[in-house]
Amino acid sequence: MQLADQDYLTVALPKGKLFGLSADLFAKIGYTAEGLSDKSRKLVISNDEKKIRFIVSKTADVPTYVEYGAADIGIIGKDVLVESQKDVYELLDLGFGKCHVMMAVPKAAKREKLADYAHTRVATKFPHIAAQFFSQYGMQMEYIKLNGSIELGPIVGLSESIVDIVETGTTLKENNLEEIAYIMDATARLIANRVSFKLKFDRINTMVQDLRQVLAAQAKA
Amino acid sequence: MEKEKLVLEIPYGTRDFLFAEASCKRDIETKLAGTFRQWGYDEVVTPTIEYLDNLTLGSSRSLEPQLLKLFDQSNRTLALRHEMTTPIARLAASRLKDEPLPLKVSYISNVFRREQTQMGRQCEFYQAGVELMGSASAAADAEVIALAVTCLREAGLEDFTICLGQAEFVNGIMAQYNLSADTQAELQEALEQRNLVAIDALVDQLDLPNNSKEVLRQLPLLNGGEELLQRAYDMALSEQSRRALDNLSEIYRLLRSYGVAQYVRFDLGIIRDLSYYTGMIFEGYTAGLGFPLCGGGRYDHLLADFGNACPATGFALGIERVMLALQQKAARPLAARKDVYLGYAAGKASEAIAKAAELRQAGKVVEVALRPETQAEAKEVQKAKAYRELVYLA
Repeated sequence: MQLADQDYLTVALPKGKLFGLSADLFAKIGYTAEGLSDKSRKLVISNDEKKIRFIVSKTADVPTYVEYGAADIGIIGKDVLVESQKDVYELLDLGFGKCHVMMAVPKAAKREKLADYAHTRVATKFPHIAAQFFSQYGMQMEYIKLNGSIELGPIVGLSESIVDIVETGTTLKENNLEEIAYIMDATARLIANRVSFKLKFDRINTMVQDLRQVLAAQAKA
Repeated sequence: MEKEKLVLEIPYGTRDFLFAEASCKRDIETKLAGTFRQWGYDEVVTPTIEYLDNLTLGSSRSLEPQLLKLFDQSNRTLALRHEMTTPIARLAASRLKDEPLPLKVSYISNVFRREQTQMGRQCEFYQAGVELMGSASAAADAEVIALAVTCLREAGLEDFTICLGQAEFVNGIMAQYNLSADTQAELQEALEQRNLVAIDALVDQLDLPNNSKEVLRQLPLLNGGEELLQRAYDMALSEQSRRALDNLSEIYRLLRSYGVAQYVRFDLGIIRDLSYYTGMIFEGYTAGLGFPLCGGGRYDHLLADFGNACPATGFALGIERVMLALQQKAARPLAARKDVYLGYAAGKASEAIAKAAELRQAGKVVEVALRPETQAEAKEVQKAKAYRELVYLA
């Protein structure tokens, strides 16, 4: 099987919490494939009748697959998309996976103003988003890139603050952290490769319109 | 004392082209140079370094961080050229000022940009292209597009699509709704970032009737064959947008005469730097390559910035991208042609030289041994160097 087979539409889906919701959404517009699961050992899962193929990848890699054209379209959180700085089409806000990116500090060590944190250390999975945010305030920071358990940073004295995503705020509370600055909202987005969007325009556009209808119906219900 | 280790790295974003790649690159460039000449485009070679001020003249400040810079002996800032259109505009306003119009110029050269490198995108890369200056007619635009198609075909590609749009169409739509300068800028930014979600959000906030909002939302989705022009015509109310569509249908008519219309699709949401382009814009894509092969359009203001107001149109093609597409098409690494390895026994050296001359005359790629060899030795060399055939003079 040649992955570059042009009759197929290749969709990159992220493992983890967005996977199930994404797969359900595609199923609603009639696109699914046997054995589609993020636990599957198979990396590429095709539906030959519908000429569609899913690849399941690590979250942060989805924009890369799409930018290179290895996948035509993908679903990814806006936070990861902005952080990746990839040149892709952002076609649709899918509404789910809602969270926001913010800055938090230990309650006990809270300073008066944001500017008081200038030149301190920030632990984050999102150094680009964080740098963009702080540069608006003319603040230079030291970014410490972590790949998980960001809250640990201030607790063990690795950093003075964190920039991370928050859904409910429970994790922050449990770790005695307090949100002091809102940075951006994030939800799941449908993205497309810039060439695929042109060369497979009719298929992708039909899919976008179908997804829009499903989303609109869900919003009403 | 330990001897210092040699540094054998090359700078970030640059690359060496070895035999097969270099030969493929040379072949493509030779074919393109021939095509440019046949179409009456004269080649120019300009300096790799220019004054920074010249390169950034007329373009937005956002360009500057992309340029590779250095200083000259009087401490003026120099930059490596990031494309060839600006140096050619400089030439057109200076040494080529009195040439009869239209002026048709071609180039094949390396250009430099600070980039996050990836396959097909390097800091130093090679471009071939043309600029046609001194004509505002659709005939000039059609010629440039037809030439781009011819170049891709000459290079060996068949399976590609040219998407054709018009900067004035988008500008006209925005003007017709009296959008504020801020809103226009935001909308353009969202278009250039290919962010349809931001466009939707922006449009939702505007104080416009619903059908007008729908027109703005549809902008990036106006993609289709000839029938799209009629659909767009019904949407576009302003004179400016309709003129843009008329211009496109005229270009398309001419492309039919050139016999290349089958490669062309309309894409009115095509997004290239909208502050720079003033008329038709196009990009060429091929399946399996995640970025455009070539791109171009009409830029009537650039030459005015050099004090020589003059309409102009042109295109540039990425040579490495064409190479990638060819490689993908062939589904194997590119190889340089190697026909004959010529070995000989002792005392046959002059005979071998004469034989090689004869074979080369017949168009073969021939390597002659530099000393007598046994037939078995010659066979080894032929295999190791991947020559198709061994000629041995016993």
